[in-house]
Amino acid sequence: MAVDLSMSVLVVDDYNTMIRIIRNLLKQIGFQDVDDAADGTAALGKMREKRYGLVISDWNMEPMTGYELLKEVRGDPSLSKTPFIMVTAESKTENVIAAKKAGVNNYIVKPFNAQTLQSKIEAVFSD
Amino acid sequence: MKSEHFEAIYSFLQNRRDDTTLADVLDLAEISARTMQRFFADMDSVVYRELRDIAGYIESLKREIGVLKANEIKTTRIPLAGQELSEVCKATEAATHTIMECAEAVMAADARNPAAYKALVEEKMMLVFEACSFQDITGQRISKVVQTLQLIDERVSRFAKAIKAKDSEGPGSEAERAREERRQRLILHGPHIGGPETPQSEVDAMFPKS
Repeated sequence: MAVDLSMSVLVVDDYNTMIRIIRNLLKQIGFQDVDDAADGTAALGKMREKRYGLVISDWNMEPMTGYELLKEVRGDPSLSKTPFIMVTAESKTENVIAAKKAGVNNYIVKPFNAQTLQSKIEAVFSD
Repeated sequence: MKSEHFEAIYSFLQNRRDDTTLADVLDLAEISARTMQRFFADMDSVVYRELRDIAGYIESLKREIGVLKANEIKTTRIPLAGQELSEVCKATEAATHTIMECAEAVMAADARNPAAYKALVEEKMMLVFEACSFQDITGQRISKVVQTLQLIDERVSRFAKAIKAKDSEGPGSEAERAREERRQRLILHGPHIGGPETPQSEVDAMFPKS
């Protein structure tokens, strides 16, 4: 896997269980530095304090959704280049199109497996 | 009021003189009174029929409101359904926690001692089996909630039919309007029934490097 496993990863989800699942999968892949946030606002705060190499975010959260977070990140020159993967149960085509238009690097539909997560991370860093 | 009711008044006014006397005024009052008497006599029977219909409708409405048992729904059914769902959330969360803890313990275990590793795996797997028993109870709880929803649906449907209810346009409250506006603006649909609406393979096709 041509990915820098020492990079910091931020997982954004309002369900602790999902954070725990993604944390474990990332750990299996080899990532050691994984932080989490419960919504877009908290994530944005962390991103402005620490440099993350990858953000993996849910869509449907309150108060700030993952979609809003993505737009905030892409609109902030200091964060705009951060790779961003959406992991969500929002599976309508209009969601995928909107996320892509907003600048998402990849999109995973829940429920997903370890292989899917790994392949999408690899795809994001294959540029 | 029918046109002939006005004829007497019209005729009087047509023939009025400039030097109107008290007698003229009294004549007009008498003509008006006679006219109105006929008018109210005609109206009485119509109004009576309509009031009788309205009274009957109100009576049936009261009966239907009684059958709706709105207070019971509000004070008992809905809170109980909420408690059941809350218990389902707690049970699934607890089971998930147990299962994940077991998985994490197995993943972190030292496999260099096969006997100890096997014992640990067996112990954790037993805990996983036990944790999975939540499904039986949560299934029963969800059935109770579904029954409550069906009961409310039956009562509300009957009531709506009885009053010939028509849905009004737009949201029912400001909170509902705000929720709907947020849902549309942020494209929030939630999980699709029966699995993802767009399968991962179709999503991947939209990201060429996937």
